[in-house]
Amino acid sequence: MSEALLEVRDLSGGYPPVSVFRGVSLSVGEEESVGLFGPNGHGKTTLLKTVAGLIDPWEGDVVFQGLRLNAEGKMRPRISRNFNYDLFQKRRIRAATVVEAGVIYVMQGNLLFPEMTVEEVLGVAPLAAKGRSGVREMRERVHHLFPRLQERRSSKIRYLSGGERQMVSIAVGLLALPKLLILDEPTLGLSPKLRLELMQAVRQIRESRVPLIIVDQNIEFLSGLVDRLLLFDHGAITREIDAGSMPSHDEAMAMMFGESH
Amino acid sequence: MISADTFLFVLASGVLLGGLYALMATGLAVVWTTLGVFNFAHGVFVALGAYIAWQVTQSVTGSVGYLLGAALSVVLMFGVGFVLHYVLVKPFERNANLVLLAVITTLAAASIIENGILLVWGARDKQIEPPISGTIGLMGAEISANDVMILIVALLALLVLAIFLRRTATGRAMRAVAQNREAAELMGLNVSRLYAMTIGLSAATAALAGVFIGSVRFISPTFGSDPLMKSLIVVILGGVARFTSPILAAFIVGIAESFSVYFLGLYWAPAVLFAMMIAVLLIKPEGLFGHRSKTL
Repeated sequence: MSEALLEVRDLSGGYPPVSVFRGVSLSVGEEESVGLFGPNGHGKTTLLKTVAGLIDPWEGDVVFQGLRLNAEGKMRPRISRNFNYDLFQKRRIRAATVVEAGVIYVMQGNLLFPEMTVEEVLGVAPLAAKGRSGVREMRERVHHLFPRLQERRSSKIRYLSGGERQMVSIAVGLLALPKLLILDEPTLGLSPKLRLELMQAVRQIRESRVPLIIVDQNIEFLSGLVDRLLLFDHGAITREIDAGSMPSHDEAMAMMFGESH
Repeated sequence: MISADTFLFVLASGVLLGGLYALMATGLAVVWTTLGVFNFAHGVFVALGAYIAWQVTQSVTGSVGYLLGAALSVVLMFGVGFVLHYVLVKPFERNANLVLLAVITTLAAASIIENGILLVWGARDKQIEPPISGTIGLMGAEISANDVMILIVALLALLVLAIFLRRTATGRAMRAVAQNREAAELMGLNVSRLYAMTIGLSAATAALAGVFIGSVRFISPTFGSDPLMKSLIVVILGGVARFTSPILAAFIVGIAESFSVYFLGLYWAPAVLFAMMIAVLLIKPEGLFGHRSKTL
């Protein structure tokens, strides 16, 4: 494997006191795309939110381009309820640091900013790129990728359909000029037609060599897209599969739940 | 009953009150929709703003002093609001009881600032000299030119604020943070700083209102509590669904107050306003111009 772009080392986390995932290690190389597949409610989103800096990790490191994004060490447990720990305890990872490093997380079922228009949201999005050049080219590509957004540019986000909203979310992610793009179930809950449209868009993003981490429930879609597939089960990565030997949906289910699921 | 020119006079003073309330209530509403906390120090922002301007007019006289005082007060109060976010709200940000805690911390700040004013400027009533004198005739009624200036400047300030929130990158970022904090964080926006700027802007509008009130009435260290109460009524009455909701409600409250004072007397006016507020809460809890959503 070439040099790792993102390296997650022994990461554990959750919503205290509930532990959601434990000892997760994964890496994404330059120009690589990695799929994450697993049942709902097993912590994929919590893991990705931790990597994105929204939730503090309990233990372990998130390293991007050789730079550790989180604070060193372990999270200290609360020993008393009588102190305002938030005053003394700094956040262990900050979304702003992660975004600045170039890791952009596109949330699942993102509501974005309901009362802002598509145009306004796409106008704010490049702030995340922190003045790096290439926003204009990316804007062109986003127009090309999602022509539908151009038609709806003066609509408020809350009047958009789920699919259109997802398009805006991905467009926002792209306009941040990601060095690594994390897509969390981009085709969740969409009509078949829109689903195909979005899958097509994600394939095009992939073709432009943007490194990806992508979560999806559709293993056929993932198989055609990623270089490696990680099976995620009960808060841990249980199996890693290379592009050559992608399983079918039933096979993947069997790997996770045994033959007679 | 009421003669035409008296009616006009009462209406005009109601509209002036409405303009002042709009300025204060919008500040309160902006903080409420953005941070999700209620700023009970908003009233003392009004008072402190007025005192800063008064202090300037003591050394620089005339309309130059008034302008300078108003400008300085607005700028300083922006700073005060900005800093207070880091003291009053930020330390409790991750606490589940943030809303309740912020009520207490802002009330505490209000009390401290109020007593600070008492300590520095004393208890005696003061007045800021109005920058312009004279009256304007409006269909038989004589209206003070200063009042007209206040109304125009207040509305202009609100217009500038609206344009800032809608058209500038910082304003849009502030609205983004208000509508979805997590998504805004994922865009790399500095949430704390945007929150602090929101309270700063709110304090700046409060200061402007304070300067205006100081030039039409007397100011005393405790005079902020009445504007706070009126802004509260306005925000509840109008809702916060749109930027204009509290502004429209402010004029309704202002005119209602002015007519209540004329017909029922000064002491009954608050009762009328609170009755209106209770009626609205009973019938349309999200406010006259509200839906369930709260935005900027």
